Amino acid sequence: MAEGRYDSGDGSVAGRQHISARFSAELEAIKNALLEMGGKTESQINLATRALLNGAGDVAQEVVAMDKDINRMEVDIDEQCARIIARRQPAAFDLRLIISIAKVTTDLERIGDEATRVARMALKSSIREPVRGAESQTMAIAEHGSAMLRRALDAFARLDVDAAVRVLLSAQSAQTDYEEGMVLLQAAISNDPTSLKSCMDQIWALRSLDRVGDHACNVAEQVVYLVTAVDIRHVDEPTLVKLLDSGADT
Amino acid sequence: MTNPDMFDYPDLNSARIRDEKINTLMTAATGAATLLAVVSVVAFLGFIVLLGGAWLAEEQALSATVGQQHSSNFELLLFGGRELASSGGVLPAIVGTVVLTLLMAVIVAPLGIVVALYLTEYSGGGWPTQLLRIGVQNLAAIPSIIYGVFGLAFFVYVIGGRIDELFYASNLPTPTFGTPGLLWASLTLALLTLPTVIVATEEGLLRIPSSLREGSRALGATRVETIFRVVLPAAAPSILTGIILAVARAAGEVAPLMLVGVVRYAPTLPVSIEAPFLQLEQKFMHLGFYVYDLTMHAPGSEGRVGIVAAASLLLVSVIVSLNIVALLLRVRLRRTYVQSGV
Amino acid sequence: MDHREALIAASNNRANLNYVAPGIEVQGLSLTYPDEPNALIDINLSIPGGEVTAVIGPSGCGKSTLLRCFNRMNDMLEGCQYSGSITLGDLNILDPMTDVTLLRRRVGMVFQQPNPFPMSIYDNVAYGPRIGGLRRRRDLDEVVENALRLAALWDEVKGQLGKNATVLSLGQQQRLVIARAIAVQPEVLLMDEPASSLDPISTLRIEELIYELKQSYTIVIVTHNMQQAARVSDRTAFLNQGQVVEYDATDKIFTNPSQRATEDYITGRYG
Ligand SMILES: Nc1ncnc2c1ncn2[C@@H]1O[C@H](COP(=O)(O)OP(=O)(O)OP(=O)(O)O)[C@@H](O)[C@H]1O
Ligand SMILES: [Mg+2]
Repeated sequence: MAEGRYDSGDGSVAGRQHISARFSAELEAIKNALLEMGGKTESQINLATRALLNGAGDVAQEVVAMDKDINRMEVDIDEQCARIIARRQPAAFDLRLIISIAKVTTDLERIGDEATRVARMALKSSIREPVRGAESQTMAIAEHGSAMLRRALDAFARLDVDAAVRVLLSAQSAQTDYEEGMVLLQAAISNDPTSLKSCMDQIWALRSLDRVGDHACNVAEQVVYLVTAVDIRHVDEPTLVKLLDSGADT
Repeated sequence: MTNPDMFDYPDLNSARIRDEKINTLMTAATGAATLLAVVSVVAFLGFIVLLGGAWLAEEQALSATVGQQHSSNFELLLFGGRELASSGGVLPAIVGTVVLTLLMAVIVAPLGIVVALYLTEYSGGGWPTQLLRIGVQNLAAIPSIIYGVFGLAFFVYVIGGRIDELFYASNLPTPTFGTPGLLWASLTLALLTLPTVIVATEEGLLRIPSSLREGSRALGATRVETIFRVVLPAAAPSILTGIILAVARAAGEVAPLMLVGVVRYAPTLPVSIEAPFLQLEQKFMHLGFYVYDLTMHAPGSEGRVGIVAAASLLLVSVIVSLNIVALLLRVRLRRTYVQSGV
Repeated sequence: MDHREALIAASNNRANLNYVAPGIEVQGLSLTYPDEPNALIDINLSIPGGEVTAVIGPSGCGKSTLLRCFNRMNDMLEGCQYSGSITLGDLNILDPMTDVTLLRRRVGMVFQQPNPFPMSIYDNVAYGPRIGGLRRRRDLDEVVENALRLAALWDEVKGQLGKNATVLSLGQQQRLVIARAIAVQPEVLLMDEPASSLDPISTLRIEELIYELKQSYTIVIVTHNMQQAARVSDRTAFLNQGQVVEYDATDKIFTNPSQRATEDYITGRYG
């Protein structure tokens, strides 16, 4: 992918400037807005996890508040996409860029929702008692999810198909943590039925954090579509590996 | 002005004042020139109309007192009054002028159109074409009497002589075509006006956008079909303008005609209502020559100006009517073939 | 076969529902003007029959020149030379022995500027059929009406077919010259910017007409309007400086062109 058709080394979309500088600026702005939204969801996840594990109510409050911003950003970016389609009739790369941005906002917004859900859980449990039982697994899943998200957004910013495919290939690596966590929490319930409520909360939190990785995968898939125009949403792993080997330059 | 300090351009101001002065001056000058032109034309026409009209009125009064048959000015002029009668009246001269001019137009129009077609549509546009074009344009600058000399030498003696030898040998030594006559006069005038028709037609043809020719060719038309169905019809108004100019010029010519067919008095008209309708070899009378002849030879000095003015009035009327007919034709053509807006 | 027979054969062909117009094969076509030695350079295109092919590219890249090769209009230009081969079905278009008047009845053309003849609307449309030998008033009436209907102009001019065509609006003129071209029943219709001076509604009408004509006509359309090319064509050729840079399905060209130059052109970037 080193000498692909799109290298955004100089920070501009696809490297070459439009004759209409305003159009380039518009695309650049919308892309930056998306990355800003991504950064915000990423920190939302991290904060929510901390709130959950440390029982920090104020941090959880903060995460819930952030969700309003995320929602507003999603609406805003989608609006800009619609405006560009209406006014510029983008084609080829520009068209794919707008389509993928519109899709990525949905995933980012969902990630925000998951973070908020975790934060609400943290808020509840901070009133009762801190959740205990599968802290290390929760931590691992959260970190893994947010790392995937960060790398996917990074790949988006750099139009790096390789990195995006790697994000997809790494999706399974948190699976054992998830299963371990589940086993631990189920054991905790059978040992102490009174912990049912808090353990269930934690199971939900685990699920939410695990979903972050799925959404990050969707983002990575959009990067591959954006750069190569190949839709890899429903292909199996060997095909992905091949994509990696071939330099993904279809 | 938002900021007088910044936008104060004294130079611009003085330039505007100077422009306005020049403008006023130009308006005055062009207006004066136009006025002069109008005044001279009006004076000239007024002179002819007044003098000619006055003479006609006087003539009628005279004939009325004398008790002759003449009852109207019109008949008076046509068949000759007290003095005109001696030369057979002005009617034969009118007929001669009209027949000569029409015959000339019939000859010059196809010839001019064909030459113009060759120049614009067929010749490559290289230097031989340019040379030919310049030659044609310069033909227009040759004095008309030279055409008369050429007509006499070439048409009358060379061609006419040959025709007599071939077809009218029995009449020799009395010449039939080997002497000045209507045909040779028409041909001479046709030659004289050929450049006018060629130039006007060429201009018209060049103005037809090549997109029309391409459009026709793209529909499967050949070059000839394109010329006859699209190019010529579209150029018709210009061609007719050329013919109008040619007619105007030819009807007023006198000098060359004196050499190739016009006479002071012709006993018969060159046209008749029975076959062969047109006597091409006949000599004929002509209004222009008639005016000249009257001026030089009319008896009595005090009546002379009046007669001449009356005959001139007639000549001008004939030319104007010929032009009006052509103009009406052109208006009709233009309505049918509006110049393409492309 | 003379013009009249060709005309009858063409309209009989059209009557057959399964009829598909022939395609055009261009091989190694190069063309030079006296002062433009590289007007077209080694063009290879396989234009399928019964489809719409768009030719796009910057001004002066040779689009009109290419189009004018298909009906040999370049023959009329002094000093224009070409080599290579173009075939329409089994007709060798560039063969010097090919009768260009017959060729042009099979390959109709609509020019970049509408060029109605300075005569009546009726005579404009009837021009080609008349040249082809159609004389009966009844036949001509039918051909004229059909062509005007197809070109979406009939309703606007039906009461005034005797009106001079040059007083029509530019958009009407553009549809008139399309009607004039299809009145000859060509197999191929070359359209050089057929909507360059039209309002959006008339443009859509013409695009709709193109859509209706395809299958029984092979249509090649030159356009500067990317969206128009994307809307009407099945295949798109991108020309630059006399060369075919990319030729592919329109969907492919407008979502994922394989050449960087194509992408730069259709997305409006510096080359
Ligand atoms: N008759 C001609 N004689 C000489 N050169 C010509 C002629 N016609 C076109 N050219 C040249 O050939 C090149 C291609 O011209 P062409 O008209 O095919 O361009 P085009 O792609 O149709 O442009 P546009 O989009 O502006 O119509 C141009 O460089 C032009 O200058
Ligand atoms: Mg062009």
